[in-house]
Formats: sequence, C-alpha cells, structure tokens
Amino acid sequence: MTKKTAKSIFWVGTLMSAGIFIWLTVDFHRQEPAYANTDRITDQVVAGKKVWHKYNCNDCHTILGFGGYYAPDMTKAYYRLGPNNIIAIVMEPEKVYKGSFRKMPRLGVTRREAEDLVEFLRWVADIENRGWPPQDEKYVRAARLREKEPHKLQKLDIVLGACGGCHSFENQGRDIAGDFGDIAKETRYNRDTLVRYILDPASVNPDSGMPPQNVSRETAELIADFVLGLR
Amino acid sequence: MTIRYESQKVALPYIQLSLLLFVLQIAMGLWLAVNYAFTLPQWLVDAFSFATARAIHTNLLVAWLLLGFMGGAYFILPVECERELFSTKLAYLQLGLFALAAVTAVVGFLFGWTQGKPLLEIPVPLDLVIVVAALIFIANVLLTVIGAKRRSVIQWMLVGGVVFLALLYLLGIPFYRSLNADYYYWWWVIHLWVEGAWELITASIVAFVVLQVTGVERQVVEKWLYLETGLFLFTGIVGTGHHYYWIGSPDYWLWWGGIFSALEPIPIALMVVDTWLHVRNRRNTMVNRLTWIYIIGLAIYHFLGAGVWGFIHTLPPVNYYTHGSQITVSHGHMAFFGAYALLNLTVFYYALPQFKGIRRYQEKLGQWGFWTMAVSMFFLCLVFGVAGILQTYLERFLDIGYSTAQMTMMFWFKAALFFGAIFLAGAVMTVYHLFTLRPAPKATA
Ligand SMILES: [Fe+2]
Repeated sequence: MTKKTAKSIFWVGTLMSAGIFIWLTVDFHRQEPAYANTDRITDQVVAGKKVWHKYNCNDCHTILGFGGYYAPDMTKAYYRLGPNNIIAIVMEPEKVYKGSFRKMPRLGVTRREAEDLVEFLRWVADIENRGWPPQDEKYVRAARLREKEPHKLQKLDIVLGACGGCHSFENQGRDIAGDFGDIAKETRYNRDTLVRYILDPASVNPDSGMPPQNVSRETAELIADFVLGLR
Repeated sequence: MTIRYESQKVALPYIQLSLLLFVLQIAMGLWLAVNYAFTLPQWLVDAFSFATARAIHTNLLVAWLLLGFMGGAYFILPVECERELFSTKLAYLQLGLFALAAVTAVVGFLFGWTQGKPLLEIPVPLDLVIVVAALIFIANVLLTVIGAKRRSVIQWMLVGGVVFLALLYLLGIPFYRSLNADYYYWWWVIHLWVEGAWELITASIVAFVVLQVTGVERQVVEKWLYLETGLFLFTGIVGTGHHYYWIGSPDYWLWWGGIFSALEPIPIALMVVDTWLHVRNRRNTMVNRLTWIYIIGLAIYHFLGAGVWGFIHTLPPVNYYTHGSQITVSHGHMAFFGAYALLNLTVFYYALPQFKGIRRYQEKLGQWGFWTMAVSMFFLCLVFGVAGILQTYLERFLDIGYSTAQMTMMFWFKAALFFGAIFLAGAVMTVYHLFTLRPAPKATA
C-alpha cells in the first residue's frame, strides 16, 4: 500500500463515518419525542433535573447506566421506590440508612427540591429504553399493573413492587430496612395497626424511619396480610 | 542527547505538573476504594462524599492527561517543524490559566460547586477559562505548524486531534432540558475524546516517538499513521452508538453501534503490529531499554484494555447485562491506563532525559515502577472484573437487590484497595524516577 492510498482511506473513512453519524443524529432528534416523551418535560421536571445536578447525585448513582457505581441506578427509581420513599431518602438519608453498610450524605435537600426531583425521576422512568436496567423491570411492571389491573398481580409482585425498594423477601428486593421473614417474626402489630403503620408509620411509631407509603388502603391490607401470613 | 530547540523547554513545567496530578489522582482513587471496602461513619460521608472524591479522581485524570498531551505537543513540534514554537510566553500563560482552572475546580468541588455531570463537573465560569486556555494552545500550535520548515503528516494529525478535542468540549457546557439529549451529547465529549480525538493525538505522538527512537523511514511511519487514524475515526465516530443502547433511542443504534464498535480494535491491533515492525526494523541501537519497554507496553496494554475489553463489553447482548456495573470500572481503568497513562509516561521518558542532556539514564527504579504499575493494574482490573461479574450475576440473573449484592462484593473491593495501594507505590517510584533521572555510569554503557 502506498502513502497515497492510506491517505485516501483516511479521508473516505472519516467522512463516511461522520456522514452516517450526523444523519443518525438528525434522526435521533426526530424520534426523540417518541422515546423520551419530551412533551412531558415540564418546568418542574427541568427544576428536578437541576436538583439532580446541584447535589452531584450522578457521581454516586448511575442514571441510564452512566455515572458512579457507588449507589443504585436511578433510571427506574420512581417505580422502584415511589415518591414518598424518594423524598424521605434524599431529605433524611441518615435515618433511612442508619443501619446500612453504605451511607448517603446529608445534602440539605429542601422539600421543594425533593418534590421537583421526584417529578424529574418520574419523567426519566418513562423513557422507552428497552427495559434497562433489567433488575428494575419487575418494579415497573408491578407499578403499572397496580395502577391498571391489580387483579392480574400475584400477591408477591404487589408486595415486592411496593416494598422491594427497601425490604427484601427470599433474597429479592433491597435489604436496607429488614427482611419480611424477620419482620413477620418480630412484629407485635395486629392487622389494623400494621395497615395504619404502612400508610403512615409515624402515627404508630414516632421513631420509625419508614416514610408513608403511596399505596391504596386495599394494597396496604394485602401487604399486611402477606406479612402476617409469614408468621 | 539534549534538546534541540530552546522553546522545547516550556514542556518541562507541563510535564512536572502532569506527574504531580497523576499521583494525586491515584491517591484519590485509593480513597474511593476505601469508600467501597468499608462502612464509613455518617459524619465523614457528610463532610467528604464519595461523589466529591470521584469528581476529583476523574477530573485529575483528565487534567494530567491533557497537560501531558499539551506538554508533549510543545516538546515534539519544534523538532517536527524544524523551528522554535510560535510563542513561549503564550505557552506559559496557557499553563497558568489551565492550572488556575484545575485548582479552583478541585477546591470548588469540596464546597459543592459543580455542574453535576460526571467527568464534566467543572462549572461554566471555569469552563470559559479552559476554553481561553485551549484557544491559546490551538493558536500557538497552529502558528507553529504554519511556519514550519518542513511539512509532515504528524503535524497536521496533531493539529486535527487538538482542534477536534477542543470543539467537542463545548458540547458539555450547555444545560440540556432532556436527560436523554444530555447524555447523547455527553458521549460526543467523552467517547469522541477517548475513541476519536485523543486517539489522533496518541497516534501522532507515538508515530513521532517511534520515528525518533527507531530511526525507521518517515514515509513508512506516516503511511501507517494515515491508515490507523483513518480506521480510528471510521470505527470510532459511528461507534459512539455503543453508548446509546439504553438511553431511549431507535433500535438501529444496536446495529450501527454494535457493528462499528466491534471494529474498533482493528486500528489498535494495527498499532501493535506497526510498533512491532518498526522496533524490529530499527536502524538505531537500543539506548534506553525502559523507553522501548514503554513503547511496546503502551501498544500491548492499549490493545488489551481499550481493544479486547472494550470489544467484549460493547456487544449489545453482553452490554445489556454488564452496562453500568463494575465491569465498566474494570474496562475504564485498563483502557485509560493502557492507552493514555502509558502514552504520557512514554513521552515523558523520551523527553525528560533530554532536558538534562542525558543520553543513557539509570533505569533500575523506573523498571521497578513500570512493572509494579503494569502488574498491579492488571490485577486491579481483574478484581474489578470479578466484582462486576458477581454484581451482574447477583443483581441481573438471581434478582438479588443492590445492597445485598454490594455486600457480597466487599471482599473484592478490599482486594481492589490492596492492588490500588501497590499501583500507587509503582506510580510514586515512576514519578520519583522521572524527577531524578541520572546518567548511567559509563562502564555499563
Ligand atoms: Fe465508547
């Protein structure tokens, strides 16, 4: 091969690849509204994104799989944790993660900022990204079914979908607030108290680190039955 | 051997600062490993979070690599152009601005002043200082090359790489309303840097050093340079798509990204081949063994870390499971070390003896430094890789939660801390050796 041939390879290769890439980029922007629901980017979503940047969340947490690997991925966090849990975690991480092997810093997030962040994460969770991360798809499915067709859900799906962000059961879910097997053994609450506790923990136990749960009374009852049934 | 042009001396402070930041970067990396391996008290996490430490670790990486590229460029351009640099004053001014921005950025991170985007945390006002420094650099390089006594492919490839690098940086500055578009362009900076612009710079600098050290024919080296950079850009530009699989994008990205990124190892493999050929067909005698070891080590490690590891990890069916896990950490460390850390060190070993007028230097400590770094980095990446496979298997196959999986991985994080500490020792030896190069005794010459 001569130097001249090599030079042509350089220019043809570079320009061809750049051409394809620019064409694909134009198409990406054309299709972005369908994949990322850009029409749903409200001012509050933008405010939430700024909160996300302000506290440098992305250097511990991944989102869309990018960023720090020190803490769980936030792409589908809205479905995995739900709004109340997210707010409780970012506002009082020292309480939520008191017994955890890994801590989250107290960042001084205000309630307003936490609510904006939730809106941002809600928008992110609905990006059509081929169901990534794989481990969170069960929460997405459970949350969507819970809204639309609760009768189709397995009891375990409901429980893990609603509680699996913090509680574990038979190695599923995240064990930061205790395993249901242990909780069932230790709890002294009856059904009514447990239902009240799930809906508003502080009303039963003021020292509880658990935030109020965004579930209907029926779901709370179903979860209570499930837990008490493990005894 | 001494420096041939007076203005080459501006490279020295660039190289020295670069080396200091290198050691700081590793030290900060060890602190990150401590965060992973042990449970830290809440007050410590509040005062100095993992996020802040990571921002410092990665920004120091970028800073010392860029300082090395710039110092390297200033060192080789006079020789390549057969003239003094356009302006040494501008070069010092640029270094001052760059150092000012870097120091302010790190102190700012400690107080929470951040743009909050991984690797591009530097806030906008400081971005502007960096842009000014970059413009000065480009002007200085360009004006030097324009007035060159000799035209060469290496010159223009270097100019192209530097301009490309600077332009891409601009895409990381604005605020994007959509996270999806944000990350689309974030990769124009990160991917097109490391798998585009930086490869151009690497290939040109390596071509220069190989040419000087081996004394093979320029025509041959420049032919390879065209071929390799052409393939780098051909595969690397569309290859950006390997970062678009899971961001919310049309299905065709799986094909375009998957296929083009699968071709990305080819130019790196060619670099191994041509380095090997040039070394074998050398016309010069081997004066400093260590410099040669670095040249060959760079080629092989570049291929392993960026080429092979990158190839496996970016195939879409594999990436679905390995994306966003410790596997990425493993690949990232080996690729940056293999391609860019070793590049800078190769250039430093080529340049620094010349400042002192040393032809043959005592290389014992440097040998220890190189092998300690090379071996410990290999094990470090192995350990990260095991942790990553474990994480993928536990979280994504067995459906075990994040925390439980991480606790299971803690042994491997402790192992990472261990090998990281050895790497730091190797880096300190290397940097100390480079700062205190001494001529080898004549008897053994
Ligand atoms: Fe890439």
